[in-house]
Amino acid sequence: MSEKQLGKKVDRCLADGAIKLGTGLGLGIVFSVLFFKRHTWPISFGSGAGLGMAYANCQNDLRSHYLLHKSEKQEE
Amino acid sequence: MAARILPVLKLATKVTIAGGALYVAVDSGLLGSSEQGSQALEKAKAAIPPALEEWMKYFGVEAQLPTMPKIEFSPVESWNSGVRWTISSLSEAPTKASDYTNQGIQYLKDLTK
Repeated sequence: MSEKQLGKKVDRCLADGAIKLGTGLGLGIVFSVLFFKRHTWPISFGSGAGLGMAYANCQNDLRSHYLLHKSEKQEE
Repeated sequence: MAARILPVLKLATKVTIAGGALYVAVDSGLLGSSEQGSQALEKAKAAIPPALEEWMKYFGVEAQLPTMPKIEFSPVESWNSGVRWTISSLSEAPTKASDYTNQGIQYLKDLTK
């Protein structure tokens, strides 16, 4: 992976992390207010789940360069 | 009879709101892959100025929002130049240190002459 590609992937990872953190936070707040009597744990759960999704996405993205993909296999 | 329906109605409203929020989040690609997320971000960035204008007209505020000043400062560039400066000074440090020591010794020798 060239440095430029790596830089772009890291940028995408960070932006994705911020988006998913915000989304998780928002959904956590909505659920906390509506269903869980304004407790704090749905908010933390939502933000944590968002961060976890971003981490998994980033991991797959960085690994995909080194894996053999189906489309390449069919070309053989 | 209304007293019996009310809790059910409240629950139904809550479920609708929560379900709607969840649907919007999943549908707009906020919870998908990284590319979908950046696409959603671009769409949101492009949609903000018209939305802001509409809101301003709705409230009757005629003042023009000051346009975001074009900031020429790039943190990436500053960081990179900082790293380069640090490493270059670290690599020149032994040579410079020996030079200064020699100069100091020479100065002292001159003093004691």
